[in-house]
Amino acid sequence: MAAHNVAEIQDEIGILEARLRDARKRLENVQLTDTQGAVDRDSATTNNAAASSPNIAPGLGSHTHFLLLLSDSQLPLGSFAFSSGLESYLAHTPPRTASFSSSFLPSSISSMASTTLPFVLAAHRSPQELAELDDQLDAAIVCTVGRRASVAQGRALLGIWERSFRGTVTGDGQVLKDFSTLLRESQGQDVPLVSAHLAPLFGVICALVGMSLRQTAYVFMLSHVKALVSAAVRASMFGPYQAQKVLASAQVQRLIDVVIDREWNTAVEDAGQATPMMDLWIGRHEVLYSRIFNS
Amino acid sequence: MGSPFPTSISKVGEGHIVVSPLPSGGNGLESIRYQYPLKLISPTPSVHQKSVLVFLLSYGGGLVGGDHINLDVDVRAGALLSVVTQGHTKIFKSASPDIVTSQNLNVRVQDDASLCLLPDPVQPFADSVYTQKQIFTVTPTSTLCFLDWVTQGRTARGENWSFVSWKGCNEVWLAGHSPDAKPRLLVRDTVLLSSPDSVVLGRPLRDAMHQMAVFGTLILRGPKVQRLADFFMAEFAALPRLGARDFRTIEDQAKEDGQLSELERWRAQRIRMERAQGILWSAAHVRSCVIVKLGAMTVEGGREWVGAMLSKEGSVEEHFGEEALMCVK
Repeated sequence: MAAHNVAEIQDEIGILEARLRDARKRLENVQLTDTQGAVDRDSATTNNAAASSPNIAPGLGSHTHFLLLLSDSQLPLGSFAFSSGLESYLAHTPPRTASFSSSFLPSSISSMASTTLPFVLAAHRSPQELAELDDQLDAAIVCTVGRRASVAQGRALLGIWERSFRGTVTGDGQVLKDFSTLLRESQGQDVPLVSAHLAPLFGVICALVGMSLRQTAYVFMLSHVKALVSAAVRASMFGPYQAQKVLASAQVQRLIDVVIDREWNTAVEDAGQATPMMDLWIGRHEVLYSRIFNS
Repeated sequence: MGSPFPTSISKVGEGHIVVSPLPSGGNGLESIRYQYPLKLISPTPSVHQKSVLVFLLSYGGGLVGGDHINLDVDVRAGALLSVVTQGHTKIFKSASPDIVTSQNLNVRVQDDASLCLLPDPVQPFADSVYTQKQIFTVTPTSTLCFLDWVTQGRTARGENWSFVSWKGCNEVWLAGHSPDAKPRLLVRDTVLLSSPDSVVLGRPLRDAMHQMAVFGTLILRGPKVQRLADFFMAEFAALPRLGARDFRTIEDQAKEDGQLSELERWRAQRIRMERAQGILWSAAHVRSCVIVKLGAMTVEGGREWVGAMLSKEGSVEEHFGEEALMCVK
């Protein structure tokens, strides 16, 4: 276990150092051709310039750029059409006992992490296993509504990759190309070869744009929390300032870190439901009389 | 055919059941072997018995901390097997959290063969540490009907999801076309309940279980339970909408209730029972299986509900016989 961790950390350091060297080189090239312009545009930062250049703070790099894009609530995944069981939870819980922060939120974070996060991590570590991971996750989501939500967002993310990201990202996107082909071939099959669930695709795409494993896990979990909080606002549980307060809270930061640590070494074969009530709430979303969300 | 008692095999906690069709018709036990603490009993089959019946037992009625059960089951082509228990499977406390009590079940159901596994629920006591893994390998023509459920513990002693951890994994694999071909995973249903994990997240496990006393999963696949699977899906679709209101007058309600079919009357009564007993359930099609998830605020309510659904539809009794249902009645 310890040896495995050491090797993994060393690997990560190697990758990060390579990326840093690469970024420095690119920065130098840019500065050689465009030093004067950059200084003019960015004169405000000249005083805090980094060691590599006397005048300019180092660029954030392409992976930070994509981190911001993938964590943006405007990423057109349609995440906000889903409440991940919140709407159903409210319908099943007496109003006075329903609570977001002390009950639903930790349950939902724990459930999302225990069922899905191992697939995000595994796909980031081994993108070439995307199809196999997608198939295994498809076997493990045992609820119609949950499957619908996962596949709808996964397909949207694959669409974003194909139509928007692929042209810019230098990484090898062959695995996603093959996956799309497999997805087309699977249509109409009773047990499809692949279904395009969100988690493994998210892991692969984050790896391709250069995000670290920890960043990927954090963005995945934070996006889930943002979608929940947004659903809570629209379900009139609280208003937008309270929503930001929840998002900014130490509780949310701690919960995300706790579940990422918990699942860091969980094999996808050992992923499972830590909050069985969640399966019932999400599954019974279909029997709500009126619905504002798709899950 | 020497001793009337099943022969034992050497490894602690291991067992093997092989069931095959008899040349004269009906089903027979080809072999049944087990070793302490596992105990298997199969009453001598009667002429009219539709499936071989095996009781899955343990000495002392439960598993002591650190016990490991490994049971292999082969249902040969065309045979039918029902497995039941005699009372809850008690999981006694572990002396320390790293002493895990485990049960593994590895079942192969061949072509046109059928397995019905409807046991009593597992009852993990306070401070128990338990893992179970049930692997079912089926073919396109085999039938599978199994229930896996767990209770909050001994309520009389104030237990309410008071164990350290409970992990249950159910996998259904579709066997490859040839013996060497890789099987395909159809369903992997895993539940991971852990008190320490729950506490770290800021609420005790019992709070996360929302007053449920029992949690269960029923998985159905194959031709002999196809009608049953459709029945669950249809009943789920027919559940009254949550938050809907009935705008009919009392007279109209009474009048329309009088015109209900037998099934509709039964359904209305069952739904009243679901409300009274705090029963929540859902059903979903997942890769050629139907998966029913169930939570109930009392163990008996949950048992009554499962029994009512299975009895009303009738497939289990028709194919496996009444005995297969003894733990859910």
